[in-house]
Amino acid sequence: MDLTVLPVALGDYIGLSLVIFFIGVAGIALRRNPLIVLMSIELMWNAANLLFITFARVYMNNAGHIFAFLVITVAAAEAAIGLAIVVVVFRNAKNVDVDDVRILRG
Amino acid sequence: MIHHVMGVDGTYPLLLTLWLLPLLGGVLCWAFGPQLKTAAGWLASGALLASFVLTIVAWPTATQNLNGAVGAHQALVSWMPGFDFGLLFDPLSLIWTCIITGVGFLIHLYSIGYMHGDRAFARFFAFLNFFVFAMLTLVLSDNFAGLLIGWGLVGLASYFLIGFWFEKPSAVAAARKAFVINVVGDIAIMMAIFIMIAKVGSVGYGDVFSHVAAFGPTLFAVCVCLFIGAAAKSAQLPLHTWLPDAMEGPTPVSALIHAATMVTAGVYLIARCAPLWNASPDAQLLVGTVGGLTALVGAILGTAQWDIKRILAYSTMSQIGYMIMGVGVGAYEGGVAHFFTHAFFKAQLFLGSGIVIHALANEQDVRRMGGLRKKLPFAFFAMLIGVLAICGLPGLSGSFSKDAVIQGALEHGHPWLYVVGVVTAGITAYYMFRMLFLTFTGAHRGEIDPSHLGMRHPELVGTPHGDSHSEHHHAPAWLMNVPVAILIVPTIAAGWLLFGGGASWWATFFATTFAPETLPAAPISEMATTGIVLLIVALGFLVAYLRYGRMGDAKAAAEKLRMETVHAFPALTNAFYFDAALDALFVRPAAWLGALSAQILDPHIIDGAVREIVHLARSLGNGVRAVQSGLLRAYVLLVVGGAVVFIAYYTLIGVHR
Repeated sequence: MDLTVLPVALGDYIGLSLVIFFIGVAGIALRRNPLIVLMSIELMWNAANLLFITFARVYMNNAGHIFAFLVITVAAAEAAIGLAIVVVVFRNAKNVDVDDVRILRG
Repeated sequence: MIHHVMGVDGTYPLLLTLWLLPLLGGVLCWAFGPQLKTAAGWLASGALLASFVLTIVAWPTATQNLNGAVGAHQALVSWMPGFDFGLLFDPLSLIWTCIITGVGFLIHLYSIGYMHGDRAFARFFAFLNFFVFAMLTLVLSDNFAGLLIGWGLVGLASYFLIGFWFEKPSAVAAARKAFVINVVGDIAIMMAIFIMIAKVGSVGYGDVFSHVAAFGPTLFAVCVCLFIGAAAKSAQLPLHTWLPDAMEGPTPVSALIHAATMVTAGVYLIARCAPLWNASPDAQLLVGTVGGLTALVGAILGTAQWDIKRILAYSTMSQIGYMIMGVGVGAYEGGVAHFFTHAFFKAQLFLGSGIVIHALANEQDVRRMGGLRKKLPFAFFAMLIGVLAICGLPGLSGSFSKDAVIQGALEHGHPWLYVVGVVTAGITAYYMFRMLFLTFTGAHRGEIDPSHLGMRHPELVGTPHGDSHSEHHHAPAWLMNVPVAILIVPTIAAGWLLFGGGASWWATFFATTFAPETLPAAPISEMATTGIVLLIVALGFLVAYLRYGRMGDAKAAAEKLRMETVHAFPALTNAFYFDAALDALFVRPAAWLGALSAQILDPHIIDGAVREIVHLARSLGNGVRAVQSGLLRAYVLLVVGGAVVFIAYYTLIGVHR
């Protein structure tokens, strides 16, 4: 582990990542607009990406970079599917409130 | 262990055929009853006749003797070590097979006439043939398991045939009673078999009898279990109560199953297990005593009966008591001989009573008979011969075998059983002649109002009188008379096989089956015994004659019978309260236990436990269901909250404790 490669302290990276992650969590938990929810999920992905990149640098290991790209790809696919679901729900319910999707419960 | 087989191993197609023919006949009668109609009777009788002829043809194989192995052994099925099923055809099985198929054939023939016009004619013969097959399985099996199978099947056949007229509630009740008591015996035999498996590891006769020493102190338990089985089947005290009730069945059934064959299965079992009994003097004493008591009690109860078939039923019980006493004390040849002769004269008595019942359109009460000697001379003659034989008139079959049993009890050191046997012989003469006088002599009492004979109305239920059956169809009389006529011959002559004591044909025949033993000379010689028995029998006859032989005209006789009925001892009319005792000891506790479990155990404990489990699962489900709100944001909070708890656990408490 080589911390000299980082311009600021490691704890700052982790703290920033946690802040972004919990902003995402709060977005999902508190907002009812599905588009905002999707964007919040994007924030959580990117918080994870930030940690991957940070520790890839610290450990001089490219696996972290590769994972970050993988996450970006999956996030893109997820966004596409998520938007498709939002469109379908909107067509059926004429409304885009995530709480209304409760009718799907068993 | 070495596998011991009794008899000479080999292939005996005759034996297999004579065993399976009745089954074939029964299946055909069952399957094609509507098509066969009255031919079913001839088919069933033919199967039995063929079986009887094959028995005679196969006779030499049963008596062959190869280095001490007597008889024929045919291996059939091998299950596992110690559980082989095969057929054993030795002198003992041979005698039983002869009676089952021979007397069975005559009774089948008789049934064609007796059951003429019954709407379940073919079913009757299917059951009769099935019974014969089951009985042959019982006596031909070479092991206890096969014997138990036959034992259970004859009980089933007996159930079918007692309840043959199942529209009659009393017949159904009698059938059920007989079956339940017989199953008690089946279970006892099963217990004996379990002990055999534990101690010897085999159920084959040869294995068990060559390892008698292996039983040790449990030998008495084995003998008692086997004897409970024998007592249930052979109507010994206190398991005899089903036999008089079993007379609800058609008369040929009473003759075949409840006199000649099935009820003597207990005698067969004990004679077959002679090596066990020889090794256990306690068991001998027990069986001999129960047999003697049964003979006495059966005879006493026979004196108080009014139904002609119930008189014969108690007589059967008493005579089987003689047989059991004989084989119990160790006089095996005597006991088996009494089975042999009894099969003839009792079948003849039953078939003779059947002719009477048939002629009177199902009247069975001797109080409403009388004077039938003129109307039914052949039945009178046949029954007279039978009565003389059962009483032991010298020269007729019964005297030889009965004296052999009574003398055997004395020779084996049981003077009390000797006295019981002699006294019973006197009572036997009394009740048999009582039946004969009431039925055939004096004036006919059929037209007298039953209440003038002391009969209460409940007794009349199920015994319709004369005219109600006016359109009764009668089969040709010879069909019923010929079998009875044929039976007269062995009834008179069969006893002569025993003539000559130790050198007789009978003793020679069984010399290899029951090891001959040297006993100290009895204090009373056989001739003297015959004399004593004859004296007592004459006394019994005299009492019967004085009481029933000259009762005057119908009116005077009716008054006498009414007085006797009214003043009868309650203990006798209630058959010594055996039924009531069994009812109080077993039936009512069982019913009470059943009610207890139906009212408390089942609804509150078993169903209650099930209901509680259901309730628990439902309330648990209701609680958990609240979590599944379908609210996406709530799920997210749960996931995050869970993750926080998870992480907090590992960071604060840690994996390294």
